[in-house]
Amino acid sequence: MTTMLEVTGLDASYGPVQVLRGVDLHVDEAEVVVLLGANGAGKTTTIRAICQMVDTKGSVTLGGAELVGTRPEKMAGLGIAHVPQGRGTFPELTVDENLQVGAFVRKDRAHVRGDIERSYMLFPRLGERRTQLAGSLSGGEQQMLAVARALMSRPRLLLLDEPSLGLAPLIIQGLFARFNELNREEGVTMLIVEQNANLALDIADRAYVLEAGRIVLSGSAAELRSNDAVRRAYLGF
Amino acid sequence: MSAVLAVPGIEHNFFTLTLLLQNLTNALANGSVYALMALTVVMIYKTTGHLNFAQGEMAMFSTFVVYVLAIEHGWNIWLAIVLVVIGSMIVGAGIERVLIQPLESRSVLAPVILTLGLFFILNGGAATVWGTQPKTPIPAPFPGHLDDKVDIITDRLPHFFITYKAIGVWITVTVLVILLNVLLKRTKLGLAYRAVAANAESSLIVGIPVKRMLMLGWALAAGIGAIAGAIIAQYRNVLDFNFMAAVLLFGFAAACVGGFDSIKGAVVGGLLVGVVETFTPALFTFVGSELSLVMVLIVILVVLYFRPQGLFGSKRVERV
Repeated sequence: MTTMLEVTGLDASYGPVQVLRGVDLHVDEAEVVVLLGANGAGKTTTIRAICQMVDTKGSVTLGGAELVGTRPEKMAGLGIAHVPQGRGTFPELTVDENLQVGAFVRKDRAHVRGDIERSYMLFPRLGERRTQLAGSLSGGEQQMLAVARALMSRPRLLLLDEPSLGLAPLIIQGLFARFNELNREEGVTMLIVEQNANLALDIADRAYVLEAGRIVLSGSAAELRSNDAVRRAYLGF
Repeated sequence: MSAVLAVPGIEHNFFTLTLLLQNLTNALANGSVYALMALTVVMIYKTTGHLNFAQGEMAMFSTFVVYVLAIEHGWNIWLAIVLVVIGSMIVGAGIERVLIQPLESRSVLAPVILTLGLFFILNGGAATVWGTQPKTPIPAPFPGHLDDKVDIITDRLPHFFITYKAIGVWITVTVLVILLNVLLKRTKLGLAYRAVAANAESSLIVGIPVKRMLMLGWALAAGIGAIAGAIIAQYRNVLDFNFMAAVLLFGFAAACVGGFDSIKGAVVGGLLVGVVETFTPALFTFVGSELSLVMVLIVILVVLYFRPQGLFGSKRVERV
């Protein structure tokens, strides 16, 4: 299996506050990898560091090409789609415009319309609300929109930051079923940060555990599921 | 007939039909120019969240350059305006890139204070280069002779007519608003601009060059301001180093009433401010024209009391 994303010795800081200390992780092609960790462990910062949205040191490569030092607005063009924590939709644009913006970096304008219609088939609620402003959608609908928007760039790598945050259990299950489909049927590679460890490990191939800015544990989803410390800390049994 | 309406403090001639119509055309022409200045305010505010206090002086400077090209060098006035608009857009984008962007990350107020500094630099600079005396003749984008007018009611006194200048102002504003709407609503560039206005961080994520969109806002504002300057200089018949300061105040007022992030609001707010400014001194004998700005401020207070975001402005929604 070829490595898609390779993170080595990654440090990240907000001003004087260092959050990540030498993080090493990798995501192989068509893999789903989950990043677990307590609040404040640096999960979101890891995602933001990969996208160069915080000051970083170390190395992040995508398909062998170095990302550290690249401007954040270049990531979409390189094939990275990012669903930030707290949804990150465009509240004053319509649902349809949100999806159009998602395809901003694409040159094949002819296929964009077809992909938007496909998003509506994947998330029928969005199709019903296509002319509404995104700001008027419910939390679950906005999360679907954020994911659909991210897929509009036809990414090689999808970074999902707490996709289940604030959503009802039924909606979360539906959303993760979609992630699973996307991975199995279209081979989209994913790195998921998730509080809901049970659900995330269900669809993941491998997982990492982050503590105070360092990777303290890694292994296959099954291995981590049976690890006592992980069970106590994140799975709740 | 008119003596019947002798109410103290009310100008009874105000209700004479032709005078009323004449005031209305004045109000709408003035208001259209305020709408343009409000648009410049909105174009910058939407993406950056800043007010540009130098907007009026940038327009004043552009108008002086139109004067130099059209009057001193005898160029065709519209050619001069088009070139100055393009030049102003480049300079506007440059100011954003070179002066504003470096301050952006340091403090919220620094860029605003910088535009205040720019106000004084441009104001003083224009006075130094072109002197403090009003310039004549004033560049005339539209036919401006006394008889360049459409007579509409001539069978009673006073006559009611509309000057070509006023019609020119209306057409210019209408065309600009339509072009701006097409740009923002029908093009990919416009969609990117609105995306940055809605959510700058997510714009970066989808690959929009956000900083260039901020420059675009400044460029559009500078270009619209240059047109506003050229047409208001002719309409008000004055071109000196101070002529845009009051106009920008009314433009701010218009944007405030309409909502700082709304194009529709800028237009409606501009017209409303124009009507209040013209009608209150015409209706009430105790309101001199110097007090018209106060009347405008009262309207702002009333609107903001009931709608703090302005008539068409969007409430800033903060999600956690």
